[in-house]
Amino acid sequence: MEITGIFEYLYELLIGTGLPQVWVDIIAYAFAAVVVFGFLCIVALFLVWLERKASAHFQQRLGPMRTGWHGWRQTVHDAIKLLRKEDITPYAVDRNVFYWAPIICFVAAFMAYLVIPFGDGLIVSDLNIGILFILGITTFTIISLLMAGWGSNNKYALLGGMRSAAQVVSYEVPMVVSILAVIVFVGSLSMVDIVQSQAKIYQWYVFRMPFGPIAFITYIIAATAETNRTPFDIPEAEQELVAGFNVEYSGMKFAMFFLAEFVNMFTVSAIGATLFLGGWQGPWLPSWMWFMGKTLFLVCILMWFRWTYPRLRVDHLMEFSWKFLIPVAFVNLILAGFMKYSGWFNW
Amino acid sequence: MNREELAKYLLDKFPDTLELLETGKAEPFFLMKKPDEIVEFCRAIRDDVELRMDFLCQMCGVDTGENFEVVYSVASVKKRYRFDFKFPLPYEGAEIESVQTVWPGANWFERETWELYGINVKNHGNLTRFLLPDDWDQGFPMRKDWDAPDFKRMPEV
Amino acid sequence: MAELKTEEFVVNMGPHHPSTHGVCRFVLTMDGEVIVKVEPVIGYLHRALEKICENRTYAQCIPVLDRFEYCTSMSCNQVFALATEKLAGIEVPERAEYIRVIMLELNRIASHLIWLGTTSLDLGALTPFLYAFREREDIMDLFEMTCGQRLTYNYIRVGGVAKDIPKEFIPKAKQFLSTFDSKVDDYEKVLTENPIFMTRNQNIGVMSPELAIAYGVSGPNLRASGVKFDLRRDDPYSIYDRFKFNIPTGQNGDCYDRYRVRMQEMRESAKIVRQAIEQLPEGEISAKFNPIVFKAPAGELYSRIENSRGEMGVYLQSRDKEKKPLRVKLRGSSYNHLQAMPHLLKGHKIADVVAVMASLDIIMPDVDR
Repeated sequence: MEITGIFEYLYELLIGTGLPQVWVDIIAYAFAAVVVFGFLCIVALFLVWLERKASAHFQQRLGPMRTGWHGWRQTVHDAIKLLRKEDITPYAVDRNVFYWAPIICFVAAFMAYLVIPFGDGLIVSDLNIGILFILGITTFTIISLLMAGWGSNNKYALLGGMRSAAQVVSYEVPMVVSILAVIVFVGSLSMVDIVQSQAKIYQWYVFRMPFGPIAFITYIIAATAETNRTPFDIPEAEQELVAGFNVEYSGMKFAMFFLAEFVNMFTVSAIGATLFLGGWQGPWLPSWMWFMGKTLFLVCILMWFRWTYPRLRVDHLMEFSWKFLIPVAFVNLILAGFMKYSGWFNW
Repeated sequence: MNREELAKYLLDKFPDTLELLETGKAEPFFLMKKPDEIVEFCRAIRDDVELRMDFLCQMCGVDTGENFEVVYSVASVKKRYRFDFKFPLPYEGAEIESVQTVWPGANWFERETWELYGINVKNHGNLTRFLLPDDWDQGFPMRKDWDAPDFKRMPEV
Repeated sequence: MAELKTEEFVVNMGPHHPSTHGVCRFVLTMDGEVIVKVEPVIGYLHRALEKICENRTYAQCIPVLDRFEYCTSMSCNQVFALATEKLAGIEVPERAEYIRVIMLELNRIASHLIWLGTTSLDLGALTPFLYAFREREDIMDLFEMTCGQRLTYNYIRVGGVAKDIPKEFIPKAKQFLSTFDSKVDDYEKVLTENPIFMTRNQNIGVMSPELAIAYGVSGPNLRASGVKFDLRRDDPYSIYDRFKFNIPTGQNGDCYDRYRVRMQEMRESAKIVRQAIEQLPEGEISAKFNPIVFKAPAGELYSRIENSRGEMGVYLQSRDKEKKPLRVKLRGSSYNHLQAMPHLLKGHKIADVVAVMASLDIIMPDVDR
């Protein structure tokens, strides 16, 4: 049975029990959301393991090797450890703000997956404002960073929170504008429509010269900055302000920030794969395998950046965004609009 | 100029101030007879066109058992000369003038000498705790008559 | 419209901090992100080495001074041995001098590799740290096979060296040197042309030659400011006048020039080791020196050598026929560099404190002794 088939089967089952339609819908979609949530937790654990192994091999060492074959169980053990750690809440924090910050971060990270197509028909809800919904939800992360910085009642955390908020806001603009360049071509905000307009490999937006590669590169750079990864990881720079905005968090709250970072990395890679690399399209293999392959390819590129490049200073970071990336992204958008209007390259 | 010529040049230039010591085993080592004029002397050797001693290698205090001594080692980067000079100070009321107006690098050397020996430095501006803990009240450690409370002398070889 | 009231605030950096090299505390007065004043607070690593040396015989001082600057332990041994030999007029045999030079230059390479690793780590490039330490392991193996130690060697003694080099040393050293230059090229490929690295380092922490000389800054930091001064060339000690090597200098005196100078110095040190291995003669490895009954004549001197960080010096004073020195004053190079550091940071941002401290190659045992 195919994956979509399971969902339809359960849906029929629920209708057969005679509940009112609205209840059937609620239960069905809640079930789908729980499935997606579970899948993402596993993906987050997998990505943490992948990061450790990738960084180890870049640095000519082996990484975790003892907990299972090549250390695959390492993250499970780390998760159990974090669950059992003492959750220290400093005395002088602003209770509500401090408590809700990691929750908001975590929830914002997961809600984006309601509209990401994992394969042909494998989408929780194909909203017709798909990509706009994602961009709106990922902006919630800024609020949680500011809350973490302020609520910790700590000079360092506040500096870290303000910096990361400034960084994320600055890099939202080129990200949105580069996505817009693709949307102009598609004509619709729905994620499924975007993928279906890339049916052939030469139609993938990364190959549509000349605006495609520029949009792709701008998107990747902005995405790295959005997820606070090196070379843009000033907020978490250990060597400078000792962990920035999450310096006062420990135990499960810290784990939430940590997992949210990896889930965010997967989100931006998934969006990149959907918009630029053709989503689930591909011959022979099942569609979800293509999607996972393309997303993991982008995730590996993000990890590669982290272990190669030094860190940008915060004013260079802002300068780079406002003085270089945004003009390039806007010029690219105009170019895309022109190309669409004139009908060139409209294969 | 080699070592002998350098020694002769200095003795000719500052006949009343310097006296060549025989205990100096490497570079010329002088005894400075006028400690009150240390700042002028240092400025003179720094600005002298022949010498150009612009690099203060080190400055330290010594406790010889009978008195203090303060040693300066200077060098010239351009001309590659090097010599040292020192002057003795009595135990009571030991005081020197700060030479940081001549070589700014002397600041920390003088601060350390004050802290470890108790030699007061005039016109320093920042004689505060440096190497020792902030709440140190057990005297001046580098003096010969000072031992740590738990110090045990090693057996003679 | 009311004026926005701003005030400066004081941030404490350290002593527990991942990128103060050793335990050092900085009290930073900041105006927003810009630094107004930096005040280093030191003394966390003060071990009273000078007082300890006053209670040890000359031979016993050598292992104590290993710990004076533990990244370049051979140089610490060498400077004290040199001072004692000049004091007592001891002549060191040829083979011992050549072995000393080989060990000193290998130690210089090891120290620069530590600098390279920690500098790139502080700037966020996390990988060259492991590559540099991988090379350093080869050098550690060479030292271990000679004197049994990896970090504090106690090998260069008064009068010569402690033990002769084993017969596996030369082939292994040659094998290390044959691949070393290409590895240094690899590190340069990762960092030197990287725009992020360049932006973080160029025009940061600019030190003019006048400031450098006034504060007693020496070594690669002075050379990066344009002053071509190397004690191995300008105040030669041991047998350095028999080797051909270049002295790299920079122009601007910023962090990037200091980086370039040290990378080039690693290559030059490898050149010296190659020449020394070729010219190594047979012979004695130590002069006649009895460590137990040695009594120094009366004398005082200040002797200095070119350490990987700068000028390292020992002022030694002894009374007549005494087994123990009267005064041992240790002059470490990082002491002066740390004193000059606040003057390089005016108007920079807090991220530059880390970059400047790493590029000046300051380590705390040198400062606190």
